[in-house]
Amino acid sequence: MKRDTHISNLASLAQIGRLLSICILLSVALSVKSQDANSALTVIGNSKGVPVSLSLAELKSVFLAERQRWPDGTKVIIAMIKSTAPLGKVVSKRIYSMTGDEVRGFWAGVSFAGKFESPVTFNTDSELESYVSQTPGAIAILDKAPEAAEVKTVLINGKKTF
Amino acid sequence: MVVKRKVASCLASVLFLLSLTPSMMAQRTQIRGFVDVLSSVQDGKVSFGFGEQDLFITSELNDRISFLGESVFKWTPQTPTQFSVSVERVIVKYNFAGNHNLLLGKGHTPLNYWNDNYHHGRVFFPTIDRPLLFGANIIPLHTTGVGVEGHDLGELRFGYDVMVGNGLGSSEVVDNDVFKSISAAVHIKPVDKLQIGISYYSDIISKGATIRGKVINWQVNQQLFSASIAHFGKKFELLAEGTFGFDRTDTTGTTQTFAGYVYAGYKITPKIIPYVRFDQLQFQNGEIYYTKDNTTAFVGGIRFVINYLAVVKVEYQHTRADLEGRQDKFTAQFAIGF
Repeated sequence: MKRDTHISNLASLAQIGRLLSICILLSVALSVKSQDANSALTVIGNSKGVPVSLSLAELKSVFLAERQRWPDGTKVIIAMIKSTAPLGKVVSKRIYSMTGDEVRGFWAGVSFAGKFESPVTFNTDSELESYVSQTPGAIAILDKAPEAAEVKTVLINGKKTF
Repeated sequence: MVVKRKVASCLASVLFLLSLTPSMMAQRTQIRGFVDVLSSVQDGKVSFGFGEQDLFITSELNDRISFLGESVFKWTPQTPTQFSVSVERVIVKYNFAGNHNLLLGKGHTPLNYWNDNYHHGRVFFPTIDRPLLFGANIIPLHTTGVGVEGHDLGELRFGYDVMVGNGLGSSEVVDNDVFKSISAAVHIKPVDKLQIGISYYSDIISKGATIRGKVINWQVNQQLFSASIAHFGKKFELLAEGTFGFDRTDTTGTTQTFAGYVYAGYKITPKIIPYVRFDQLQFQNGEIYYTKDNTTAFVGGIRFVINYLAVVKVEYQHTRADLEGRQDKFTAQFAIGF
């Protein structure tokens, strides 16, 4: 009888342990997700055309297709990580306050109305950075500091990240 | 010797073409398409069909010049194949400074929000079909000519469009008279997702001009005044537009027409949007340019956004018109982009 009770207690403890493990895993997953949404973003730009600093409002205005040329006359080229990628989802939320699918819809509407060309999209950070480094007027958003020496970090509200 | 010269000439041509390759690769061209399939119930009869098949091309030719082309394949019972191809837009755009562009070709007459923002791809329409304002051809949907536009200028994000075109009664390639149509529109976007605009259109339609199969027997001086407000927010959607038309002839004087609609939608979730629309067409007695058919319509429906290129709409429309009386119609549409 005493042995059965002991076994039953052990089983309960094992169940609690499993529950705790699930809770810990869930909280880790959730914290990772919230980290993604709030992760520091860096704006990079080609050395030609893109200003050294912008306000956050100006950055959003650029990414909302409201500016065709930089102050020196160079054409604004928007480059983005695909909105289905984790960074793309963060940019969709932080810059557009939209889901990735809504951002694709926004650009489809803008480009098919003939108002602005769709952004050039990439699968990886390195492809994006390489494109920005080679394209005058190109601007993009990363979640890390740029590696290529040819691109510059654009200060947002006077800071390297936002 | 002649053969050698020909071979050398061919090689030179190939080398020349290859030398062009980098600049050709730099050109960005996108080809997309839109179509919709639908089913409707009217007068106890179920019908199946499909809408216009729209092919859409955009291309950046260089830093300042871009092209937009839109061609539609649509059911046209008058033709031997019962289908026709219609070139809806051919626009060459030259960005001459900042947010200011010169436009050449055929485009949507920039008179109001719907006509300026939505093309023939039904997947972007908030309702299944266009409001009656457009279906009844109160405003000229397209204009072939030259124009300038500017957008997002200053704090209020001011925008403008000015266009001079062949005008009503003209073909796509030649004007039928010496008169030119003039379109002028301005808008502001004082806060995000809100646009308010007004516009003016003027044209002189010559006596004898044929417009949509109807011969105009008098010279008509037409002026249109339009206003619109559009708000597509996170939860609420509102689009209201109205046009007052004034048609003047020497024999009938001036007649007044009003056409307008109000659309409202509410996003239960980003993918489920119930909506309503109310349309009105009001013509004055003695109107000789438009077909006098006073109409009131109510539309209620729901939009399911599967993704940005696949949208299902289910809609009920009640119409009360002078010519066709009362009509009730249920329609389901699956619109896609590809």
